[in-house]
Amino acid sequence: MTVTVVMKTKKEKFADPPNFTEKKDYRPSDVRETGFAFVGHEISEDRTTMNQFLHYDQLYTIRHGWNSKFFIGLLDGKIMGTRCPKCGDSWVPVRTHCWNLDCNLQKTEWIEMPLTAKVHTWTVAGWSGRSSLKRLPIVLVYANIGTSKVAMANELHGLNPWDVEFGMPLKIVFKPKQQRVGAVTDFHFEPADFWKPSPMNPEKQRIKDLVMPVYEWVKTLK
Amino acid sequence: MSRKVCIIGGATTPFDYGPTGFESIEGGAAECIKETQQDISGFSLRDLDLMIYSHFSVHFSHQLAPEWIIHDHLGLVGLPHFRVENGGNTGGSALYAAALAVMSGHHDVVGIVGWETMDSVSQSQGSEFIAMASDIRYELMVGGIYPIYYAAMANKWMKENHVTEEDVATIAVKNKNNAMDNPKAQWYRNDHRYITVDDVMNSRLISYPIKKYDCCLMSRGVAFLLVCSEEYAKKINPDHYVTVEGMGLSSCTIRAGDRLNNPGWSERYGPGYPGMTEFAACRNSAEQAYKMAGITDPLKDIDFGEIHDAFSTSEAQIYKALGLADENTIAKFIRDERTSINGDIPMNPGGGLLGYGHPVGATGLMSTIECYYQLAGMIPQKHLSKKTEVPDPECGIVNSHAGTGTSISNFILRRP
Repeated sequence: MTVTVVMKTKKEKFADPPNFTEKKDYRPSDVRETGFAFVGHEISEDRTTMNQFLHYDQLYTIRHGWNSKFFIGLLDGKIMGTRCPKCGDSWVPVRTHCWNLDCNLQKTEWIEMPLTAKVHTWTVAGWSGRSSLKRLPIVLVYANIGTSKVAMANELHGLNPWDVEFGMPLKIVFKPKQQRVGAVTDFHFEPADFWKPSPMNPEKQRIKDLVMPVYEWVKTLK
Repeated sequence: MSRKVCIIGGATTPFDYGPTGFESIEGGAAECIKETQQDISGFSLRDLDLMIYSHFSVHFSHQLAPEWIIHDHLGLVGLPHFRVENGGNTGGSALYAAALAVMSGHHDVVGIVGWETMDSVSQSQGSEFIAMASDIRYELMVGGIYPIYYAAMANKWMKENHVTEEDVATIAVKNKNNAMDNPKAQWYRNDHRYITVDDVMNSRLISYPIKKYDCCLMSRGVAFLLVCSEEYAKKINPDHYVTVEGMGLSSCTIRAGDRLNNPGWSERYGPGYPGMTEFAACRNSAEQAYKMAGITDPLKDIDFGEIHDAFSTSEAQIYKALGLADENTIAKFIRDERTSINGDIPMNPGGGLLGYGHPVGATGLMSTIECYYQLAGMIPQKHLSKKTEVPDPECGIVNSHAGTGTSISNFILRRP
């Protein structure tokens, strides 16, 4: 019995990688990818307990893949959503396949959303994660953008925190083009031009009382 | 026919943050097992035939597969082991996995070790680490951390259900003050004081309507739970075992905003539910657990619970999701103090996450252990007094909860 072995001279490629031609690097100059490093320690007076300090800086690549059009849209000052051609549901944040089980993971199509939204719910934050502390107080709203069936979180600027309301109309405001990074922080919500805050009431006063010390506290942050 | 699942023991290390609590994680696990052995003299490590590890964030432990360190330290080479990770519901999910293992008949004696070391970074960095379980592409960088997401959900829920800031503050007061009777509770060990509704109302704003004392505690802690077949339970701890009569595990969207108009929920519960306010995965998993345990009226059939009070507001939302009250009765249900230790269905007599602490991977196990202690009559020996002992309980519920309600489990435990 003869066995024929076919030798491939060239490795078969299953897909071509994208050709990344537009590159931007806005990393702060003090970020150093040093890998792991022990950078200090402390030992208790009775020498029974030790703490060691491990430092780790690491650059991650978030591959947006099929969701990329949304993030590229942000660079262009657009809110891109998706829509199911079968059932018509649409979304921002986007879904590349329909959530409706009857549509059986139908691939969705891209649509450009209007730059308007409506508050579904809201909160006024006086504390947050490390990278957000200096922006406090933050009004965070979940709002439906355009025809989206789901609500998207983002900050609401341009009003006193205690004036935010359920159902209030919003516009989407982008940062100047040169400051955009292709992330959700490229835009925020602001009250629609025709919206006016309602008069002061006990709940607004309560929120104001809770928020005023936050402004003072933020001033003390280095 | 699946086999009955029993719980025969368990213990936690003291839960702490910062200046105390400097046992190593593997050392803490060993001490939890030794305390369990003091309660069950016949239990030997050699009896274990599976170990499940319950741990949420390797960001905190700066070690991949940290369970391997613990397993090795316990001298259990050769024994099968794996880790379960499911956000804040990691502990509940590990118990679910252990119960499946026993039910299947493939394993008889399953140990679960859960832990988290949240004091390895600053509080604000820790909040951000946990928020990496939210969708980082859309939510993390717009000021989002979990207390803020929960506040946005609770704000609307409270308005729709006529529940006030003062109402939910009573829940924070209840749980933190319950913790003052529990020597392992972080509130007892660190803050160590009884508080009032005014204290909660005057504590600093975290995210309206949630203040500092409405929030659970970031913690360092370890827990061990022993799950087994009925045969082993009867042999090794015949007088102090409980049965897992019902269990349910359910899921919801990662982003809370995606719960609006979600077809998966609409087809189960009708349009409009759960919106951004109700914990559908809690309702759904409770329904599964109730069905399995034959519970038709939870308020009547369940004597008490240890539930996932990450925030005072979420405990109130969970009451409703468990079917203890509805839109019209929930405010009165809270105001009548039905869930205080003297109420008809005490919740979190052990202190809950608000009082005992929330070292994520250990939390669901802590809740289960407290529920077990109550049913096994062990509160007088585990707490400082009988003040937080539920009178003669037959049936308890354990609830474990993740994300913005993204994964939720419920367990019905009974005295045999």
